Amino acid sequence: MEEYHLPCDEVGFNADEAHNIVKECIDGVLGGEDYNQNNINQWTASIVEQSLAHLVKLGKAYKYIVTCAVVQRSPYGFHTASSCFWDTTSDGTCTVRWENRTMNCIVNVFAIAIVL
Amino acid sequence: MEKRGRGAKAPAVQAPQQPSVMPRKERRPSMFEKEAYAQILRDRLRESIHDVQYVEPPFDDSIADLGKEWKSALAKLKFANSYRMEPLKKFQAHSVETKVQQILTETLQDFKYDDKVFSHLSLELADRILSSVKEFGYHRYKFIIKVLFIQKTGQAINIASRWIWDVAWDSWVSAKHEAETYVALVLVFALYCE
Repeated sequence: MEEYHLPCDEVGFNADEAHNIVKECIDGVLGGEDYNQNNINQWTASIVEQSLAHLVKLGKAYKYIVTCAVVQRSPYGFHTASSCFWDTTSDGTCTVRWENRTMNCIVNVFAIAIVL
Repeated sequence: MEKRGRGAKAPAVQAPQQPSVMPRKERRPSMFEKEAYAQILRDRLRESIHDVQYVEPPFDDSIADLGKEWKSALAKLKFANSYRMEPLKKFQAHSVETKVQQILTETLQDFKYDDKVFSHLSLELADRILSSVKEFGYHRYKFIIKVLFIQKTGQAINIASRWIWDVAWDSWVSAKHEAETYVALVLVFALYCE
């Protein structure tokens, strides 16, 4: 019986790539735009869908969950916490916060390894 | 008739002159010129900043390495095949939802919005919900709990999530608690680990 070796999961989740992908997606969708009630649904949906599509193109054996919260900029308080039960060697997360003059955007990516 | 003819002609002569008299508007540089593209991008993003809030495994990798040594040592042990393709107990969203909603309303019954309290309350609540979901006893499932507190000050907020997972066994639950000054939202994701 040969030893079963998983080269890609040995490296673990590559947070650098994920954060670059997410940042580019947000820049592309929200860059230069002001908060607009009519478009906001479309923007959040496209940020999330594009990030997911690019993450899948990386070709790694991972399940992804991408969450995006866009808030209009005003004096308000916002707390978010996550607690995860997973395999710390192969799974990971990345959170990117993006802001401009009229809105704040927080995108969370969770990647769970699929053990093949 | 002649007069009318002349009258009609005069504006025709004037019209072509007008655009040359008006000052020409500067055209935006084309996207295809290399430097102009960078300039356009910089203009669009001039007012925006971004940073990476939290990453796990941490970028410096020192803690993650410990786990990997242990794991590669474990790989040398050979586990017998269990031949199990599906979980013993499938994740039941409705029972988890009632439990999570109950914890949420109990914890947040009388709380008023307060910055300092809420920042560690959110972590505490996330840990509590995680341990209660684990108690349900869904074997081989990995869980992700997200807790969001949003202060009600008249601003708008939009939250969206998408995922790629195995539709047969993976699922999610959401619970909301609304108070006078804030809204609390909890998202629980359950993923089957094969």
